Order: sequence, then C-alpha cells, then structure tokens
Amino acid sequence: MIATPLLVQLLRQPGQLAGASLADWELMLRQAALANLTPALYYLLDERGLLDCVPAPARAHLEWARAAFERHAQGVRFEVLKICQALASTGVPVVLLKGAAYAMAQLPAAAGRLFTDVDVLVPKARLAVVEGALILAGWACGHHDAYDQRYYREWMHELPPMEHFHRRSLIDVHHGLLPQTASARPDPATLLAGARPIGGHAALHMLAPADMVLHSAVHLFYDGELEHGLRDLLDLHRLLADFGRAPSFWQELPIRACQLALARPLFYALRYATSVLHTPIPAGVSLAVDAGRPNCVLLAVMDQLFGRALLPAHASCADWLTGTARFLLYVRANWLRMPPLMLARHLFRKAFMSPKA
Amino acid sequence: MLTVSSLTRAELGERLARPGLRLQTGSFVTCIGSAIPAVADGIALLYAEYPLQDAGGFADFHVSLQGSGGLRRWVRPQVRFDYDGTRPFEPLPVAQAFALFEWSMNYCVSTRVHGYLLLHAAVVERDGVAAILPAPPGSGKSTLCAALVTRGWRLLSDELTMVRLDTGEIQPLPRPVSLKNASIELMRAFAPQAVFSRPVNATAKGTVAHMKAPTGSVRRAQERARPAWIVFPRYVAGAAPHLAPMAPARAFMQVAENAFNYSLLAAAGFKALTRLVDASTCYQFTYSMLDDAIDVFDRLTPP
Amino acid sequence: MASEIDPAACQAPRRVWGVMAGQLLRSKTWDGAEHLLYNDLSGDTHLLGADALDLLRLLQAADRDEASLAAALTAAADDGDGDGDTLAPAAVATILADLARLSLVERRAC
Repeated sequence: MIATPLLVQLLRQPGQLAGASLADWELMLRQAALANLTPALYYLLDERGLLDCVPAPARAHLEWARAAFERHAQGVRFEVLKICQALASTGVPVVLLKGAAYAMAQLPAAAGRLFTDVDVLVPKARLAVVEGALILAGWACGHHDAYDQRYYREWMHELPPMEHFHRRSLIDVHHGLLPQTASARPDPATLLAGARPIGGHAALHMLAPADMVLHSAVHLFYDGELEHGLRDLLDLHRLLADFGRAPSFWQELPIRACQLALARPLFYALRYATSVLHTPIPAGVSLAVDAGRPNCVLLAVMDQLFGRALLPAHASCADWLTGTARFLLYVRANWLRMPPLMLARHLFRKAFMSPKA
Repeated sequence: MLTVSSLTRAELGERLARPGLRLQTGSFVTCIGSAIPAVADGIALLYAEYPLQDAGGFADFHVSLQGSGGLRRWVRPQVRFDYDGTRPFEPLPVAQAFALFEWSMNYCVSTRVHGYLLLHAAVVERDGVAAILPAPPGSGKSTLCAALVTRGWRLLSDELTMVRLDTGEIQPLPRPVSLKNASIELMRAFAPQAVFSRPVNATAKGTVAHMKAPTGSVRRAQERARPAWIVFPRYVAGAAPHLAPMAPARAFMQVAENAFNYSLLAAAGFKALTRLVDASTCYQFTYSMLDDAIDVFDRLTPP
Repeated sequence: MASEIDPAACQAPRRVWGVMAGQLLRSKTWDGAEHLLYNDLSGDTHLLGADALDLLRLLQAADRDEASLAAALTAAADDGDGDGDTLAPAAVATILADLARLSLVERRAC
C-alpha cells in the first residue's frame, strides 16, 4: 500500500506537523489543493492555536485560502436566505443537507469546507410545488437533454440541478438520499420526521445527528465522485467528534443505521475514518456496526480500492493502481444506484454520447 | 543568490526537464517543469536576471508545460499547461509554448493570491509613486506600459497589479511585457535597445511577442510603491493626447470590473479599493503617439 | 395595572421597515454626490443616490414606517437648502422596494 501522505498525517496529528519544514509544507499544500482542503487546514490549525508554528510562506497560502472560503461562506448564507424566501409561500419546511446544513448550523464540520451546490430534502409529494416556487424566484433546470431529465426525474432521488439565472448558483432538490432505482434505500419520510430546526434560523432544518452522519457515509461510499473523498471523510471525522461527545449518540447510531438499511455504509465509514484519519471511536461501537460488515473477500477488495481512492488526488499519493481503483469505485457506485442493464446503457451513454461540459 | 544566467543553456534545459526550475518572480517562487525547447529558450532570454531559489526553499506554484502524448507528438504537436494535476486550459500548438507559459504564470497568481487586491492592470513607478493602468481590451495598456518603462519609469507589472491589503502599497511583480500585432514593431522602433522574443503567429490574440523587463525593474522587485494615479488609457488612431479627470466613484466601479478578486475579497476588497481610489487621482487618457503619452505621464504630479 | 386594549390598534398590524440583520452599511461618498455601499449579505457593491443612502441611515438608527421616513427625509432636505422640497411617500415606497430587492432592508410587523 501507499505510504501515508503528509497531508493525512497532518490531519491526524496537526500538532506534530504544524512546524514541519518548508519542503514538507510545500508538499502538504500541493496535496491539500487537489483535495480542496486548504481552507480546512487553516481552521484546523487555528482552532488549536498552531498557525504561528507554520512557516510564513506556507501560512500565506493558508490565509489566501481562508479569504476565499469566507466569501464562499457568505455566498452560502445568502443563497440559503434566497431559497427560504422563495419557498416561504409553499409551507414546505426547508431541510438542508450536507455542506449547507453544516454551514448554517455552524458545525465544526463547516470550517473551511467548500462545496458548489446547496442541497435540500423535501417530501416527494411536494416536489412539483417546490420546483414551481423555485422557478418563479429565478431558478431554472440546466440544459439537460431528454435522457438526463428522465435519469433524474424517474430514477434518481433528486431533480436535475437548478441554476439561478442571475446569481448562477446551484440548488439540488432531493426527495431521498438514494435513487429510487437502488436496491436498498432509506425511507425519506423517516429522515424528514427526525429533522430538527437549526438554531437561530426559524425556517431552516437539518437532519438528526445520526442521520447526518449516515447521509455523509452514504454520499461517500455510494457516490462515485471520489475527488472529494478525503474531504467527505474529514466531514465524517468532524461530525463524529462533534456529535460523539453525547454518549447516547454512539448507542443510537448503529440502531438508526439498521432502521434505515444503511448498516453497510456505516461500517465502511467507521472503518475508513479510523484507518485513514485515526478517528477516535469508543470501545464496543465497532462491534455494534459489524452488522454491516461485508464478506472477507469483498472487504479485502474494498480496502484496496478505498485505501487508494480516499487519498488526495495528487501524484505523490498515488500508485499504479490508483486510477483503476477510482474507476472501479465509479462503476460500483452506479451499480448500486441502478439495475445492471440500465447501468450498462447509462455508462455507454456517458462515455460516448454526452456533450463535453 | 544565483540567477538564471548563471546556468548554461544546457543546464537550464536539464533542470527544467527534471526536477524543475525554481524561479523567483517578485515575491513568488514557481517550480517550472518543461521539456519543450521554446520554453527554455524564452526563459533564458527574458528571465536571465531573475533569481533561482536555493535548495530547501518553498515554491508557491508548480507548473508544467509538456507536449501532448499519443499521435500529437508528431502530428501538429501541442503544448499543455498542467497546474500540479489540473488542466485549466485547452492545449495549444507547441509554437505558442512560451506564450502559454506566461499566461500560466498569470493564472497561478490571479486565481490564488488573495492576500492582495489583484487588478488586471499595468503599473509603473517613478520617484516612489505609481501609476496604475487598468486594461479593458483595446486600451493599448501593454504598449503604453512598455514605452514608459523604456523611458525611465520602473516596471512593477504589465498584467497584474498587486495592492497590499494591509498598507495599500503596490507590490511589484515585474515580468516580460506581452505585446501584440502592430505593437511589436512599434516597440522595436521605439526602444531598439530592448530585448524581444521572437514573435509567434496565429495565437487567439494574433501575433504575440514579449519584451524583457528592464534590469533595474527586476533588481528592485522587492521595493514597494505608493499608488498616486489611476489612468484608464485608450488608444485612438490620430488622436491628440487628452487627460480628463474622472469621478472617483466611476473610477471605483471600473477598477472593480478590472479586478480579478474584488468580489472574492468581500468587505476587505471594498475597503482596499476605497483606499486606493482615495489615494489616487483618476483620469481617462486618450492618445495615439507614444511620445505624447510619455510626456503627459512625465508631467503628472502626485496628489 | 392592565392597560386598556384599543380596538383600532388591533385592526391593522403596523408595518415598519428595518435594515436586514447582518448589514453593516459600509459606504463611501465622494464629492457629496456619489455613494458606494457594500452589501454584507449578497457581497455586491451598489452605487446609490443620496435619498437611498439617507433612508438607510435612518433605518439603521431605528425601524420606521414609510410615513415617518418621508417626513424625516423632508425635514433633512429643508434643513439643507430651505427650498421646501418634499419627498412623496410614493417615492419613498419605490426606494424601499428597490432596497428590499437588494436584501438591504425588509418589512417587519411590529
């Protein structure tokens, strides 16, 4: 296997590497840039009072990334404000997912976390009303051809991404966490029932803590887009550290995973969070999530694939198998989302027929 | 500190090929990798006096300009800009490799260095004070900049004006001045002693060449300057020189439109640009003859 | 001591305008005529007329309704040049609508 990249070592033990040499910092920043983690590094070090240990030329890069992140955070808050205004008349509660939820709830996982779309979860029955209200307020479905429209509307768990005509911002409207074509999917009604208000914002909601962790796990281990793999793993790491301070959380998490048929992604989430980022997990929890363990052959394969794909996408963190690993995980993610024949047609189409973006 | 000229052309080519040439421009160090001779030739000619970083230092950016693989190695060969694993631009014909290198150097700074207000503008200095020339297309900004720096003004930058967020001073980033089409011959005649690269045809911008930054500008790359004037140049064939004062709010909005990161810097950007416009007298400047333009600039008085 | 409830006051809730939370209203004025304002919510920079900026400053001090804003702006104009220009409530309403669209102000029930 590949040696542990410097960036990963820094994420595990910020105190040990904050004062590293210029050459080491140069490499860590290159790895961080490709993993989109530069601003997260800034906040990680700042929280621990370690910024002064960072050599000045490297620290400058962290400060520049922080400036860009703060503008991003401002943009997210404004976008969420506009979404709430647009949906106010529908009476549909706005349940934020992932980055937007972390940002508005000011969770530790939000610090330095960059993302492009705001994700919301609504009941499937209210989808048309929500789409209509967004269109009235200036969002429009992107230029998707008839196949893409059908892909999203009939098979997937979300509308095609909608872009605001003026601000060019993107919103993904989900009605589930996994596609309708997936063989096992959590019941969206259960998730919505557990949603709770975000403090300080009357109209905003987020998933319950255990559900937020499980969604993050599903997104990481069922979604083929692993360029953000390390970022998403860091999300899990920070969510678990934050929510895990409540002892009841660790008891609820495996139970909830079974309720939502998400035992397998939870198993992977804890396994790789501990192996890659050394996330502290209380004794006994690993046993409790064993319900999701795959057979040993499959697990050995997954270790090889995720062990590579979760590292930064920088040449210094790859070996000759890394490209193959990423490809296989992309295929796997689509396999999990749709039946085999549909998958074959979908991959063929994406490879040969989609216009280049 | 060693400079590029301390290497032989062969050594330069070897270092560019592997492990990369660590070149200092202004306050940045870029690790440059390329096996393309035109890139080495351009660096040898136009960056001779620029410092090379010692071993164990820190490079801010990593750029690589390499030929495309496969059939493209022989059929209409191309050059590709690789920004440490990302490819922000489409490949170009290999003849444009040095121009692509220059654009890639600008790209690195303009997309990352958010500790400064970054303007798409030329900036030149005399007696410690600087004139900023924002650059909408067709302004003739680069030609005017090239002319000024061959007539006693110091080159702080041809493309990227860096305004410090803490003090409001201009931080130099002197690099070769890019010239297009008719400006190339015009400048050769105007400044015969200056060093020019060989023009390259058929780029998206027409024919492109680069003029070497004056030695003094490179040597003084760490000396900051105070902004004094913002001048929006406009070349109009046959026009007599005319310097018209510009209302500060209007200048503010136009500079913001010519900035790379005004919006990204949020309130800090608003504050920095307010301070910049406050410190400067703003003008619109129409001209046709370079000698007229130099004369007008020489007679500018600081606010 | 219980206060008497005034039926008239219950009929129509009074609506006032206020600056949106988070807006610091950083501005810069040159030559008394051109005013730039930084929008802390959207990140945009606006070029505003004097009336709009004055209106914002009044609301920054306290929430007000349209009639009170019109009166205050008129009084300020009178203090300036004494030519008795009044600002019609309709003009105030238009400015407020523009500022609301820019997420600078919002209407609130009080």
